[in-house]
Amino acid sequence: MKVVVSAEKPELAAGIAAFVRKNFNEATVSAAFFKEPSAYEAEALGKAGVGKIWLLPQALWDGGEPAAAAALAELVQKTGADLLVLWASKTANEIGARAAQRLQASYASECISLEKTDRGVVAKRLVLGGGYISTLLLKQTPAVVTLKNTAELGEVVEKKPLAEKFDVSVSAPAVEFLEFIKPETAHVELEKADFIVAVGRGFKKKEDLAMAEELARLIGAEVGCSRPISGDLRWLSEDRHIGLSGKRVRPKLYVALGISGQVQHLVGMRDSRTVVAVNIDPNAPMAAESDYFFVADIYKILPLTIQLLKEKMGS
Amino acid sequence: MPDLVVCVKQTVDVYQLKPHPETLAPQLAQAQFKNSDFDLNALEEAIRIKEKHGGRVVLVTAGHDVKTLLVRECLAMGADEAYVFSDPAMSKADGHVTAFVLSKIIEKKVGKWDLILCGEASLDENAYQTGPRLAEIFNIPHVSYVSKLEWLGGSVKAWKSVEEGVKVVSCKTPAVVTVGLEINTPRLPSLLMIRAAQKKPVNDVKREELGLREEDLKPMADVLEVKALKTERRRQVFEGKPEELAEKLAETILAHGGKR
Repeated sequence: MKVVVSAEKPELAAGIAAFVRKNFNEATVSAAFFKEPSAYEAEALGKAGVGKIWLLPQALWDGGEPAAAAALAELVQKTGADLLVLWASKTANEIGARAAQRLQASYASECISLEKTDRGVVAKRLVLGGGYISTLLLKQTPAVVTLKNTAELGEVVEKKPLAEKFDVSVSAPAVEFLEFIKPETAHVELEKADFIVAVGRGFKKKEDLAMAEELARLIGAEVGCSRPISGDLRWLSEDRHIGLSGKRVRPKLYVALGISGQVQHLVGMRDSRTVVAVNIDPNAPMAAESDYFFVADIYKILPLTIQLLKEKMGS
Repeated sequence: MPDLVVCVKQTVDVYQLKPHPETLAPQLAQAQFKNSDFDLNALEEAIRIKEKHGGRVVLVTAGHDVKTLLVRECLAMGADEAYVFSDPAMSKADGHVTAFVLSKIIEKKVGKWDLILCGEASLDENAYQTGPRLAEIFNIPHVSYVSKLEWLGGSVKAWKSVEEGVKVVSCKTPAVVTVGLEINTPRLPSLLMIRAAQKKPVNDVKREELGLREEDLKPMADVLEVKALKTERRRQVFEGKPEELAEKLAETILAHGGKR
């Protein structure tokens, strides 16, 4: 089976390549990039079992997602690949869809696992708000997937992957890049946080988040939120959004404040080791997803808790 | 004046959906249907463009059992007319089938259009593929995950929310734009608007009119199984006076390593 992997960051491409090698017997894996990987990145790809690196013209990446999708589709076609695996970033999800359409291929986005069967590639992905796992058979070859899972790289480079230019001339509709707006606040990496205090619609005003922020400071936690807080309310930046279309976190302790626990949020925090929640509604779905569920008004309990923690921690 | 097409999917209301206690399969038979969340954001944005620049808003929907009441809800919000493809074969539709059917309705029934708006993903499948697939079928540009949109007559400027920040891009029309929750808050139609919408045309579209063959409705991906995720939690519930609960909460946090 011939597999092409791709990701904007070569280290992620290596991660998904390693996943493919681990789960598919005897897969030949090549990696495609619009920008040449560094020697260090090429070594990581080698450790992931990538045998070849295809260099696609950077102009096609710069030309927008339709052109990037066309280039990848062309590569799949010309090299006779059976499967195109992209790291499931938001951009990859749309590129994958266009590439699949161009190739008349089966497509599954944001897969959490992949396996090879006699009938085709079987993919698992989250559906119905993230509360359910759907198992899909991709009947058509080639197939396109975006994958949100990686595997550890091998210890040694099996074979140094050779880089080769793949000259491709595709015509695709242009999307012109104008500017990039970085979020105002410093980038947080919630995925790596051991402690998270997450806030939801139980907070009535932006200023009130100060309570959660103080609690987080006290216990050395990062602040996260459900989608409405970063989305329509914009009280916090998007990089703090935990949920289906945001971050998937796995802290040691997750403290959910005023979060009812819609399925879309739960999918982002389900892997937390311990979940503590405070909510005024005893019937909130979060109750069933918590280890310790406090039926209380955050406005009453938080100031008291903060005071107590200060006393107990001696600060 | 732009002609705007909005694709709206009717999905099960995932917020109300419960899994079967033993099989863990979603209990779809009892489930309520609703218009998919982000698609309503797409509709709201189209209506706002129309309010500012004129033009018309045409609603397109395809599904295995399209509910007219939900179509009327969209018309009440401000869409001018609707094309509805309701066909049992759509129950197995994947992104490929859905995009193909929508493209046929748009091509054969809507005729002239400048911009197609979709939700970035559907509430049930969350696949992020219908919009980009539609754009590929028509060989036109698309911009996904749009959180702000400007119609510039012959082109659009779009603010696209990705993981690292916001990319501002522009493209010529015709084009496809998919939107997220951040772009707007869909209006709730007034009673007056609901009444007025009763007179707006809802056009049923049949397979034959679109020239669809049996194989056009065959998915490229088959769903083998859908099962609820199960989390094992202690589920201890504490109720009582705020002072006692605060004490317990502080203890619980400290007991689980919540300190520097």
